Amino acid sequence: MRTLLDSVGYNSWILPALLLIPVLGAIGIWIYQAMIDRDRSEARPADGGANTIRWIALATLLVEFLLSVGLWWSFDASSTAWQAVADRPWIDAWGARFLVGIDGISLMMVLLTTLIMPLAVMGSWTSIRTKIAYYYGLLLILTTGMLGVFVSLDLFLFYVMWEVMLVPMYFIIGIWGGERRLYASIKFFIYTMVGSILMLVAIIYLYVAAGGTSFAYDTILATARFGPTAGLLLFGAFFLAFAVKVPMFPFHTWLPDAHVEAPTAGSVILAGIMLKMGTYGFLRFALPFFPQAALSPAVRNIILALAVIGIVYGALVAMVQPDFKKLVAYSSVSHLGFVMLGIFSMTVQSVQGALMIMINHGISTGALFFLIGMIYERKHSRLIADYGGIARAVPMFAALLTLVSLSSIGLPGTNGFIGEFLVLIGSFKTHPYLTIIATTGVIFAAAYLLWAIQRVLFNKLDKPSNALLTDLNGRELALMAPLVAAIIWMGVYPKPVLDRMEKSAAHFVQLVESRSGRAVATGVDR
Amino acid sequence: MILQSASVVHPLAGSAVEWLWLLPLLPLLGFLINGALSLAPAYRRGPDDPGHDHTSAHGHGHVGDATIHHTGASTDVVAVGGPVHSSAAAHGDDHQVAGGLSDEVRSHDAHHDVAPHDAPAAPHRFAGIASIVGPLVLVLSFLLAVAMFMAMRQASEVRAPYIANYFDWMVTGDLRISAALQLDQLSMVMVLVITGVGALIHIFSVGYMRTDPGYPRYFAYLNLFVFFMLVLVLGANYPVMFVGWEGVGLCSYLLIGFWFSEKANADAGKKAFIVNRIGDFGFLIAMFLLFANLGSLDFVGVAQAAAEIGPNSALITLICLFFFLGCAGKSAQIPLYIWLPDAMAGPTPVSALIHAATMVTAGVYLIARSAFLFSLSPIASLTVALVGAITAIFAATIGLKQWDIKKVLAYSTVSQLGYMFIAVGVGAYVAGVFHLVTHAFFKALLFLGSGSVIYAMHAAYHATHSHEDAQDMRNMGGLGSHMPWTRALMWIATLAIAGIPVFSGFFSKDEILGSVFVRAHGSSLAEATWLGIPGSALLYLIYALGVASALLTAIYMTRMMLYTFHGPNRTGATERDHLREAPWVMTGPLLVLGALSLLGGWLNLPAIFSFLGPVGALDHWLEPVVGESAMRITLGSVPHASHNTELALIGTAVAVAVLGIVIAWMRLKPAALVPKRESPESEGFERVLEHKYFVDEGYDRAIVQPTVGFSRNVLWKGFDSGLIDGLFVNGSAHVARGFGWVGSQLQSGQVGTYAWVLVVGVLMVLGAFTLR
Amino acid sequence: MTAFNLANPTDLMLALAPDLLLMLGSMMLLLWAAWRPESDQHQRRVGGMSIILLIAVLVFVLYEGYLGMAATDGVIAVDSFRWLTDVILLLGALGTIALSMDYNVREGITAGESHVLVLLATSGMMLLAAARDLMIVFLGIELMSVAVYILAGMNRRSGRSAEGALKYFLLGAFSTAFLLYGIALVYGATGSTLFSDIGARIVQLGLGGSPLLLIGVALMLVGLAFKVAAVPFHMWAPDVYDGAPTPITAFMAAAVKAAAFATFLRIWFEAFPTINLSWHLPLWWIAVATMVVGNLVALTQKNIKRMLAYSSIAHAGYVLVAIIVGTAAGTWAFLFYLLAYTLATIGAFAVVTAIGETGEKRLSIEDYAGLWSVRPALAIAMAVFMFALLGFPIVGGLGFLAKWFMLKAALQAPAPQTRLAIVLVLTSVISAGYYLYVVMVMFMRPRVAGATAPQPVGRMTASVIAVSAALILLFGLYPNPIVRWTQASGLLVPSTGSVRTIATPLER
Repeated sequence: MRTLLDSVGYNSWILPALLLIPVLGAIGIWIYQAMIDRDRSEARPADGGANTIRWIALATLLVEFLLSVGLWWSFDASSTAWQAVADRPWIDAWGARFLVGIDGISLMMVLLTTLIMPLAVMGSWTSIRTKIAYYYGLLLILTTGMLGVFVSLDLFLFYVMWEVMLVPMYFIIGIWGGERRLYASIKFFIYTMVGSILMLVAIIYLYVAAGGTSFAYDTILATARFGPTAGLLLFGAFFLAFAVKVPMFPFHTWLPDAHVEAPTAGSVILAGIMLKMGTYGFLRFALPFFPQAALSPAVRNIILALAVIGIVYGALVAMVQPDFKKLVAYSSVSHLGFVMLGIFSMTVQSVQGALMIMINHGISTGALFFLIGMIYERKHSRLIADYGGIARAVPMFAALLTLVSLSSIGLPGTNGFIGEFLVLIGSFKTHPYLTIIATTGVIFAAAYLLWAIQRVLFNKLDKPSNALLTDLNGRELALMAPLVAAIIWMGVYPKPVLDRMEKSAAHFVQLVESRSGRAVATGVDR
Repeated sequence: MILQSASVVHPLAGSAVEWLWLLPLLPLLGFLINGALSLAPAYRRGPDDPGHDHTSAHGHGHVGDATIHHTGASTDVVAVGGPVHSSAAAHGDDHQVAGGLSDEVRSHDAHHDVAPHDAPAAPHRFAGIASIVGPLVLVLSFLLAVAMFMAMRQASEVRAPYIANYFDWMVTGDLRISAALQLDQLSMVMVLVITGVGALIHIFSVGYMRTDPGYPRYFAYLNLFVFFMLVLVLGANYPVMFVGWEGVGLCSYLLIGFWFSEKANADAGKKAFIVNRIGDFGFLIAMFLLFANLGSLDFVGVAQAAAEIGPNSALITLICLFFFLGCAGKSAQIPLYIWLPDAMAGPTPVSALIHAATMVTAGVYLIARSAFLFSLSPIASLTVALVGAITAIFAATIGLKQWDIKKVLAYSTVSQLGYMFIAVGVGAYVAGVFHLVTHAFFKALLFLGSGSVIYAMHAAYHATHSHEDAQDMRNMGGLGSHMPWTRALMWIATLAIAGIPVFSGFFSKDEILGSVFVRAHGSSLAEATWLGIPGSALLYLIYALGVASALLTAIYMTRMMLYTFHGPNRTGATERDHLREAPWVMTGPLLVLGALSLLGGWLNLPAIFSFLGPVGALDHWLEPVVGESAMRITLGSVPHASHNTELALIGTAVAVAVLGIVIAWMRLKPAALVPKRESPESEGFERVLEHKYFVDEGYDRAIVQPTVGFSRNVLWKGFDSGLIDGLFVNGSAHVARGFGWVGSQLQSGQVGTYAWVLVVGVLMVLGAFTLR
Repeated sequence: MTAFNLANPTDLMLALAPDLLLMLGSMMLLLWAAWRPESDQHQRRVGGMSIILLIAVLVFVLYEGYLGMAATDGVIAVDSFRWLTDVILLLGALGTIALSMDYNVREGITAGESHVLVLLATSGMMLLAAARDLMIVFLGIELMSVAVYILAGMNRRSGRSAEGALKYFLLGAFSTAFLLYGIALVYGATGSTLFSDIGARIVQLGLGGSPLLLIGVALMLVGLAFKVAAVPFHMWAPDVYDGAPTPITAFMAAAVKAAAFATFLRIWFEAFPTINLSWHLPLWWIAVATMVVGNLVALTQKNIKRMLAYSSIAHAGYVLVAIIVGTAAGTWAFLFYLLAYTLATIGAFAVVTAIGETGEKRLSIEDYAGLWSVRPALAIAMAVFMFALLGFPIVGGLGFLAKWFMLKAALQAPAPQTRLAIVLVLTSVISAGYYLYVVMVMFMRPRVAGATAPQPVGRMTASVIAVSAALILLFGLYPNPIVRWTQASGLLVPSTGSVRTIATPLER
């Protein structure tokens, strides 16, 4: 397989292609829409070309996915070097380059993105009915933005992508969202911008410190050596940007609003991909650049404490939500708390676990939002209280929702367990007491999700209109199938995924630990 | 720590044991087939485009087109829905054959036209296939297990477990967890019990659940349970075991809530899962401790590492206690026993399989499996034994005053599990496993028997459209004349559990009590001190508690039998004629179990009964697994009481059992009972017992309500919405606007003001220039 | 070619050629405009001619810039900083006239002189861009201001317009007095009005502490701060911007401000670099106050012209950072920023012109509700301008790069202005509050019930919008040419010797 890919020079063009294709797709959609608008003849499709546009979007993203899958084989898991690197000049006067590449961490994030996006299109198929061309165009642009964040090895490019991503999501929430969409979208935008704007200053500072000639990740990494104060301030700037994105307690309050108000695909993308950018940022930038600051006992303990608080707090607050989407939103706070715990515990297991949770959460929570969206399309309510006993009316939906919830509460045999187990077993070595508190999250998770699905699926079917709900249709099943498959596969045989990430994770731990001038981490295989 | 034993040639290599992987896979296959069957008819292709009329008409838009598609469904709701629900509500926990039916029909088979709920129930479309597939996979895996057992017996001297590594599961850094199965004498016993008793119960279910529209779903869950149970007992390391551990919890959750349209059932299922999760928390922490300190998670590795650490280390005690928390959750010991009685909400065969024979004994299995750890920590072992003893007596007292026949059995199960923990606690691992096996026999028999009773009761009430409680013993009485087989078989089980000689329960229970007594001297436990109490004293106390609860056991079991089968019948004049024995497909398994409960004792005869047959078969069989650990507890010597002591012990046990039966027979007057609806509320201590010491209410008030209230009012409304969002986020926005407003107020439009501001500005600039 | 010798009249003429061309052309256009009776198509013709003239001058300027001539020390600067400023000013003027041609028709302003006044003002600005002598500065400022005073009151039917013009005139005169007095004092202290001489003599005669000089500098600072509408000398701006005809508002917000800034920077870099210890503190505070006040007050504005007025105040604050930094990189960032800002502002006001209706109606932000659904292109263009002013990458194109360049200059200076940079970014977060509000209203609010669709957009207006949006986006993706061009303008190399002692860089 790899030889075949090499024969077409796959690695040399794949990343630029992945970034370019969605943009082309978007342009194509807009051109098509313009043509349709001009067209006054009766040849003009009755639906104003809506279906064609959907198909263009889906096709584009399927192509995107199929192309990206090649990375799975072309990626050399035995090396920690950047792979599939592409380097083109951009603003040479400032030394900003179009420099992209991946390691095991970004590989998985890229694949996650390219997997979720086509599903997001399928999930919007019938729920989005206005301004379709704009909607799918924005989805495609968003894809480029998110992929850009994961593959940028040039801090200027990274920041640009990081910010650009906000705009499409802002419009998606604000235009196609729910009742309080205006508040939610502006809150999402400004919250995130407040976080990331200081990172801009910090990036420029790093760039100047590196001689003001290059933003290349490796250059900056090599020259980033700061005294305690400067290091702390710079880390703070990065921390804020990423902590808001994660979102870490107590910077999480934009999330419930954004999740609840966004259309289904929006929630899926937010939870499935965007939240990972925060944790990705910690792994890629914040920790390697400023290890002394990040691992200084005070900072580290504060962050770990916040992570553990987030785990329990998110679960407890999720438990009492009347709105199913909001419940899932708070559960994200809890899950991402595990990720932060894993990252800052600095053992190979915990970091690997954190990476697994990043993927799992994308799949499971994405699937949850899809399912909620499907039932919402039928009943137009997100309130748990409006359901009850519908397992009788929609058994297929019930089966899927149960399975996905189980994966979300980390039942062994599903992907959810692998991540949480690795994080906890890894962080127990370095922070046993915090880990014990974090492990209680496992109990609360069961409490809030089982309670929720009981009130939705089980109990008496006492609302006649619910008896008339139709079960999932072919499209919806087709959309869930890959997610369900991933849930089982990664729960039973996660080795291929773990293998591809292990070197990068170990390298991350050793890099940070060595730069922080402390003993090399436990958990590395010797 | 990668299991090497796959490479070294194992005596069992090449035998039937090679097929170990097939053992769990057979039930899994059953699950897949039945699961597909249960979903297949349900899947109706909805309109391609569910939302098409929703952009405008929200909420109700759908009803319009839905009714077109499913007029059937809508009529169900109107016509049948009402009466069915009222009946379902009025009936007791376990009569759902009808209640469940009509509820089910409304959804799954909404497109069929629905029979009114008193007409003969229409079984599921695929009932035929399901009732073949479901039991068949169990029978097959039982046969396979037997084959392996034979292979094991022929094999010369199997000391090391047979371990098969299938693939790497979680491998990262120095953590190496592989998906490996392990077969040794202990897991062999478990496998035989699970597949054997499991097969019988599957067959019983064919009759019991025949008319239930959820039929394939039921067998799907049941097969899945067996799969996970086998993974639990076959796993070669703690994480794989944990997969089964949580998997059986899941299945128990699904099966307890099988008739989920009753809120009570769904609640019970949820409660079971969450309480189990509390236990699993302990299991997890124990595993973390193992990996962090012993660096291994598979049984072989841990055993070696633990042996190096040696006895009386705080670490191992801690690990054992955390493991025991897991056991308390899974095996319903104090303080986590509360879920088991509620679990009776599930279909009765489920109670027999999961909540009596197999799953709830997983905790006992875990401790026996981890004997190499527990035997190193007298403190932990004593804790286990003590908790077991207290649970035994506590549950037994509650069992005295229950009216629901299944609740009686439930508390009796809790109590018997207590016995098993006493055994494994005091290091009599074989005794524990022995009682586990015999208990599986007679308790499964009791539950299935009660199942037949309930089945008959329900059929009777069903025929007369009565909504009485089919499980309340006050509505039974004198059933013996209508169902003699069931009475006879259940009496066997009762005598067995009460501990009447030659019945299986007698041997196992006697061995437990005996080994407690013996270990009160010359054992590591006796020498240890537990919270300042000398171990020997504690052991005597445990022995006393054990004897006491043996007495109570005899009493409440006799009471149950009396009220159910003897005395006058209280079912009702018209109903009485409809009472009759269950079909043979249900009674058949009862017969087999009856035989086993009668003869199970022969598995491990004590020396003093050598005239009956070979002595201590199970002892020899399990010696390679737990022998060394047991020796460690008893300081290397085979514990042996003098002949007289042994006689005395047996005497006491028998005397107590007989006494209990006699007391019950004398004191209780079935004739004096009145049907449930006429019987008054009991007062005083009886009431406390009837309400199970109000423990559930206590937990609810002390833990559940406060947590929910705190989360809602303080964390969410107060902290999240109020403080962070209100004060900081939106607050800052308002502050900014406030300043802006102030600034815009200066913009009065008067040139005069502007000029003044300008002058002030000038002065400020000049001022700034003067200071450097 | 050799450098101009400004002592030689012909060389001086050549160095001033573009400015002279513009002046002569506008004179003739003035005559022609007055020749014919007022009428719509006459003002259109005059407008057209003015545009042609401006383009001619633009070409000339670009040619001069391309030659990259130098000049001996003199009253006129011949350097790419001047040419680039000229380009920015001319772009502003072009946009203004193009907008006025449609606007005048709508508002029934038939006087072709309006365009000529813009030309005259522009020539004054170009003089400012070129001036290296305080007298020339004064000349340019007066030439510019007088014309703009009249333009502000151009719309005779509107009371608000007249009121605004009068305020502008009064306060303007007031501040010019300060400037003039300042010039006089500086001359008194140094005995010269030539920037370079002033700079040199301050060093030679050690005038660093002379009160005479410092007060002069302070007063000049006030005068210039007034022209660039920096807090607390900004009070006139909102009223005037609000009252003036929209195209003229655009002119004031973009070109006038740019010109004033250009001379501000040149004076400060060439004449007063060595006494930065004295002016750093007041200027620093003025910059901070301008950023904070401008953004905060803009949050509460309901009228889009007032909102843009305050936003232009805020941007003045950002630009001041370049002057405070006082390095060559500062001038680059300065020019880059002015270009981006001018394009975005002209574009935004063009949209305002397009939406507005006769009698300066439909200026409330609420009038933009649901614009997306009726005029998608207009809404998207406005969104681009808003994002550009907010300084957002890609969608905001040049806007982000400009802010980025400014921050780079601030942090790269020998005395890094870290605190200033942080104030800059934080205040621009505040600005998201009102820029995004416009976007939100346009895209996410439904059209107000019974609101009539805006009338068709005039061709000139449309082209202004299209061109500025296109430039912002294209150069936003590929800024290399502009970056190089601005970086070529590093001709002023001020001696920032003693700045280091002031700012406290993050210790490394």
